[in-house]
Amino acid sequence: MKLFGMKPSTVTLSNGKTVVMKRSQTPFVVLLLVVLTIAAGKLTGFNIVELFERLPALWVILEQLFNPNFAYASKLWIPLLDTIKMSFIGSALGALLALPMAYLASSNMISNRVVVSLSKFFLSVLRTLPTLIVASIATFILGLGTMAGTVAIFMFTIAYVGKLLYEQIENADMKAYDAMLSVGMTPLQSFRYAILPQVLPSYLSTALFSFEGNVRYASILGLVGAGGIGLMLNENIGWRNYSNVGMILLLLMVTVIVIETISETLRKKLI
Amino acid sequence: MIQFKEVGLTYPNGFQGLKDVNVTIEQGEYVAVIGLSGAGKSTFIRCVNRMNEITEGELIVQGQNVPTLNKKEVRQMRRSIGMVFQSFNLITRATVLKNVLVSFVPDLPVWRKVFGIFTKEEKMKALEALDRVGILDKAFVRVDQLSGGQQQRVALARTLAQEPSIILADEPVASLDPVTAKAVMDDFRTFNKELNMTVIMNIHHVELALEYASRVIGIRAGEVVYDGPASDVNEAVLSAIYNGQLPEEIGGE
Repeated sequence: MKLFGMKPSTVTLSNGKTVVMKRSQTPFVVLLLVVLTIAAGKLTGFNIVELFERLPALWVILEQLFNPNFAYASKLWIPLLDTIKMSFIGSALGALLALPMAYLASSNMISNRVVVSLSKFFLSVLRTLPTLIVASIATFILGLGTMAGTVAIFMFTIAYVGKLLYEQIENADMKAYDAMLSVGMTPLQSFRYAILPQVLPSYLSTALFSFEGNVRYASILGLVGAGGIGLMLNENIGWRNYSNVGMILLLLMVTVIVIETISETLRKKLI
Repeated sequence: MIQFKEVGLTYPNGFQGLKDVNVTIEQGEYVAVIGLSGAGKSTFIRCVNRMNEITEGELIVQGQNVPTLNKKEVRQMRRSIGMVFQSFNLITRATVLKNVLVSFVPDLPVWRKVFGIFTKEEKMKALEALDRVGILDKAFVRVDQLSGGQQQRVALARTLAQEPSIILADEPVASLDPVTAKAVMDDFRTFNKELNMTVIMNIHHVELALEYASRVIGIRAGEVVYDGPASDVNEAVLSAIYNGQLPEEIGGE
């Protein structure tokens, strides 16, 4: 691509051949980026001096964060367990319902185009809704508590696992499916025997991966009142009690690492 | 008995796959269908168990007019028609035995269909089918670890377990080496002779076709241009089927 009509220079080699040297565009691109960055800073009122002036406040918070209040841990076990329960039940039910949804959204399984497009549309709408928003809406309907969080995670998991699964199904090898039909099976039975074995390992792996991510999501769902440890996080940030916040974050980190390690080992065995 | 009466097939894109086909095949015949790629051999075979739908004429298979059957009747009909494919079409992640057991699935009660649970008798029948094609020792091996010839035998066992009266074979030996191809052709001959199964086979390899089949149907551009005993097939007939090209150029491996 030629951005600025610069003339290329020609070099003559010792044997008389000429080579056209392309001039680099990089200096111009860098200049443009610098100008745009300065303009963006002006536009958003960014002030670098203020950033440095307020820096000490950050040290105060960080100092407290890194001195977690270990005594507070005893009050955290039940909310933490709530968070894990929320993500586990939400993920398990979501992944289960993702299977029929993905089947309906697969153009090679369902010949009715309306059903396929509607299912795909439904899945993408679910996916575009931020989990935090779904959770806050759910708290209006179901009241504050873990139920709202479970519903939010459940819906996100259907969309996430469903999308990846229908892509797997659409890319599956149809030869065995053909053979199942020729034996006299219905399309659904043929799916069960020819397609499901092909997609099962990646389906389970996706479900586990989504559970892993959901534990992290679930911990912040408390911010909108959807139960679990996020509720304590929200409270303590509000009270400016940063050593309690530090304790919560530490506990969350350990939990997420433990669950990720378990899930990773399981997933490695699947593939 | 299979009867094609003025059968025509036009694909949704307007391509005419079959034109005015009139063929009668008696129970127990061994028919080889030959012709150029794209001439309509596969279309011809796949009409019989309605994997392809004909658009004109009548197609009577074992007394039923295939185009008029509803979905359930089609599935019922397919139970008695085995199908063997060029690329074997096995469930590659499953064991040999499981691949054979699937032929019992349509007759299982719903809960056993869902969970894939098979009785001892069904397993015995599947193992016997594997024994017939000589790969009993591979019963618990995963299919993707077998050679092409062995995989085609698994597919044969799957078809055999179905106890069909008709076997449709779509290029069953095209992806096998010459020696294995002969062995698989021998298996088909055994089923045909000993179990009185009708065999209708698409085949590129003219030599093998003439050696094994009792009857040859030549298809060119969707039309049947030759239908007669294999012993009557000569250079002129082949030239007509293969559009004037020498059969050695296309027929041989």
